[in-house]
Amino acid sequence: MRTLLRWWCTLTGAVILTAPVLRVQGQGMRTLAIDERLATASGLSLGDSVRLAPMASAPSGQWARIGAITRRSADPSEIARSEYRVRLHLDQLQSLTGVGDRIGRFAVRTQLSAGASPDATAVGPDSVSAAINAMAFGFRAYPAAEVAIETSATFRVVNRFHRAIGIITIVASAIFLLCITLLKVDERRREVGALRLLGLSRATVVRSVMLEASLIALLGSALGAGFGAAASAIVNWYYQGVYATPLKFALVTPEIVAIAVTLSLLLGIVSGYLAAQRLVRTAPLELVGR
Amino acid sequence: MNMTPPVLSARDLRRAYLVAGAPVEAVRGLTLDVHPGEWVAVVGPSGCGKSTLLNLLGAIDRPTSGQLLIRGRDVAAMDDKEATRFRLTGIGFVFQRFYLMPTLSAAENVELPMAEAKMPRVEREARAKELLTYVGLGARTDHRPFQLSGGEQQRVAVARALANRPALLLADEPTGELDARTGEEMIALFDRLNRDGTTIVTVTHDEELAQAARRVIHMRDGVIVDDQVRRPLESPTGAT
Amino acid sequence: MITRLALASLTRRRGRTALTIAGVAVATAMLLDMVMLGSGMRESFRGFIEQQGFQLRLTPRGTMPFDSEATVGGAQALVARIAEDPDVVAVAPVLGAKLFTPRADSVVPAFLLGIDPAVQGDYVLAEGRDIAASDEMVVNGAWLAATGVRLGDTIRVASGYDAQLRRFSGERSVRVVGRGRFLMLAGGETVAALPIATVQGMGGEDLRDRLSVVLVATRPGAEVEVVGRRIEASDARVSALSTEAALRFVDERLSYFRQLAFILASVSLITGFLLVTTLVTVSVNERIGEIAVMRAIGVARERIVFQVMLEGLVLSGIGAVLGLGLGIVTAKWLNGILSAFPGLPAAFDFFLFEPSAAVRSLGLIILCGIGAGLWPAWRATTLSIAQTLREEAVA
Repeated sequence: MRTLLRWWCTLTGAVILTAPVLRVQGQGMRTLAIDERLATASGLSLGDSVRLAPMASAPSGQWARIGAITRRSADPSEIARSEYRVRLHLDQLQSLTGVGDRIGRFAVRTQLSAGASPDATAVGPDSVSAAINAMAFGFRAYPAAEVAIETSATFRVVNRFHRAIGIITIVASAIFLLCITLLKVDERRREVGALRLLGLSRATVVRSVMLEASLIALLGSALGAGFGAAASAIVNWYYQGVYATPLKFALVTPEIVAIAVTLSLLLGIVSGYLAAQRLVRTAPLELVGR
Repeated sequence: MNMTPPVLSARDLRRAYLVAGAPVEAVRGLTLDVHPGEWVAVVGPSGCGKSTLLNLLGAIDRPTSGQLLIRGRDVAAMDDKEATRFRLTGIGFVFQRFYLMPTLSAAENVELPMAEAKMPRVEREARAKELLTYVGLGARTDHRPFQLSGGEQQRVAVARALANRPALLLADEPTGELDARTGEEMIALFDRLNRDGTTIVTVTHDEELAQAARRVIHMRDGVIVDDQVRRPLESPTGAT
Repeated sequence: MITRLALASLTRRRGRTALTIAGVAVATAMLLDMVMLGSGMRESFRGFIEQQGFQLRLTPRGTMPFDSEATVGGAQALVARIAEDPDVVAVAPVLGAKLFTPRADSVVPAFLLGIDPAVQGDYVLAEGRDIAASDEMVVNGAWLAATGVRLGDTIRVASGYDAQLRRFSGERSVRVVGRGRFLMLAGGETVAALPIATVQGMGGEDLRDRLSVVLVATRPGAEVEVVGRRIEASDARVSALSTEAALRFVDERLSYFRQLAFILASVSLITGFLLVTTLVTVSVNERIGEIAVMRAIGVARERIVFQVMLEGLVLSGIGAVLGLGLGIVTAKWLNGILSAFPGLPAAFDFFLFEPSAAVRSLGLIILCGIGAGLWPAWRATTLSIAQTLREEAVA
């Protein structure tokens, strides 16, 4: 049950901030860092003092001063979460929650970060985590890359979903393009029939129809790329606002444009060929309506 | 002199078009009476206004000025709905290029105007068969236009034009697309129709067709320059 | 006869008609999928929540159900007090904890629910029988698979486990009596349910007389939000969350899919409309002479418009019906992709088929198809008959 609920609910976290507007310039008070969205939402600013309690109903708590305001990073796993993050000194959180000298996880920096060129003496994250896990006792080490894959599961699913929508769109545009090409060809049956009677070869007819279909496809995909770029700018602007994140949601990269243009050009050529075949298989006299 | 009231009566009929911004009169003050049972052939050089006149008589075009009465009804004063209804029931049109519906059979083409006039199916099927037999195509009722020769297609077009028993049959170059022999057959059909009581106005370049008509009107520059009755009316033997 | 003409003109160019119908079918499928996506998640979630039959969830103030390990003390008294509310018909206390099951070479962790078997709303029994005694446990399929335990087995379990010292706490022996389908659980998650008193006992002092969530069923016709506010006012330690409020959260979280669905549905509709318009326009232009002849022989303008619109109707109608089938198939496919969404119950549907919504979207496509013919048909019938015939003769 908790997974689903956790998935959609607003997490308040293990710590409750209360009396937020009490501005006490306490000396020697511990500091904490809060999310800038929390600062905006609750009107907190640097130097304000807040009371920390593990539960809303807890009668007492500890005071801390806001020493920093943080902005969350462009992390896909953070996007869909609307809860606010507050960072405390480890020992204060431990004493506040009464868990004693315990931690949830810790990070280890190795000599060699993933992707750097291997060195005979250097140790990479994979070998370190493997070594830790081999002698592990009650915990497990994960290389950062593995964690990133795990945390971006949502986005991988969304990505697959987008791909599927893309496939449907390609099918739809293929049908559309073939239909338009057929219509354009049908429109000029008499014209082509007359040209064929005058001695124009089948190959020339096929070439010209294919050229025309390709041009339509090229022009369409150029317009589509422009439209896509504009749409992605709007999408980014909108969702960056909605989720308060610098993360980019839609990207129109040269590779994507190249794929789209190639694909539509291919569709154009194929549909042009199919439409032209229909035309050249019909006798010229029939084309001119005799 | 024919004493029966005219089926068609035109007085000072004019029709002007705008060509490149300047008005050009195709029909200029034409006056004409056609009596029941007549067969009038309108002849003249290209651009003399023959086809414009036929379009005006058929209520598919409107005069710029003048009066046009067909069976006593003022065609110029009709709105689109009335004119459409009038074309359906009062006029039969035969075009130079037949203009049959390519997707319908010969019988269905003939039935189309009757169906539009809400004639019951059984009745219209019987009449289509009867009309196609009359024009000599009784055995080809189920053929599609592309399965028929030019002459046969034009016969179907004539049968279609007669479907709703019109007061007036208008034909625009009915032999224009036919070879000499088929043209002669078409002229014979028109002659038979006329003898059976159909009032016909044809526009034509075809000398033989004009010779076969009872009355020949020569047009030039939008006016009638000559109007001759070649054969007087006989008493009709029956109507189709 | 006009109907016959409309159908005949569609069969005249079969390839073109087939392609247009295929295009409309794809557009319809997409539209239908997006309509299903737009409302499906919300309704699916509502189904989950309402299947349990409880309209209110009470949680420790400031938290959401099971988002933290926060609990509320004085559970018995709290439940008794809520039950006194005249609008409340059932109260189901739930305590969330951890369950560790030692196996030969590993320890299987699971989420443990302490429930009242008489009034629980967390699972539906799928196999075996329900809890009847304090040491009886209902588990899910994933737990059975992970532990290798079978229904009827009696095993040792614990509510605490120190991995470093490999030491269990809150141990006791339980009998696995049933397999349940836990409504709000992700596909692979392991879960078990024991009577709440048993879980409280296993947790020792930490969990004595405590609960995590209280599910409340209200009397039919009662104002759920009002009951929630009344309970919140009577006990400062709890927050009340109504089904509607939960759905608002879902709406907020899934806004991306709804917006995407809206955009894609609009695009599909426009695509379908453009496709039919293009085809009908070209087909009308090809037959402009035929239309002029029909007008000349006395066929009324509205009859010709009717004929052209009928063509649009047939194209979009057949396309829409085919699209309905295609849409259901593609929705299944897309649902399969999205079902891998992390943290969602396996039975959660992103795409929910609602006949009324399907009829609406099919109707929209068909309306578009009919509308697509309107302009070209009207234009064709208002052209001058004489001029059109002359131009046709020249062509």
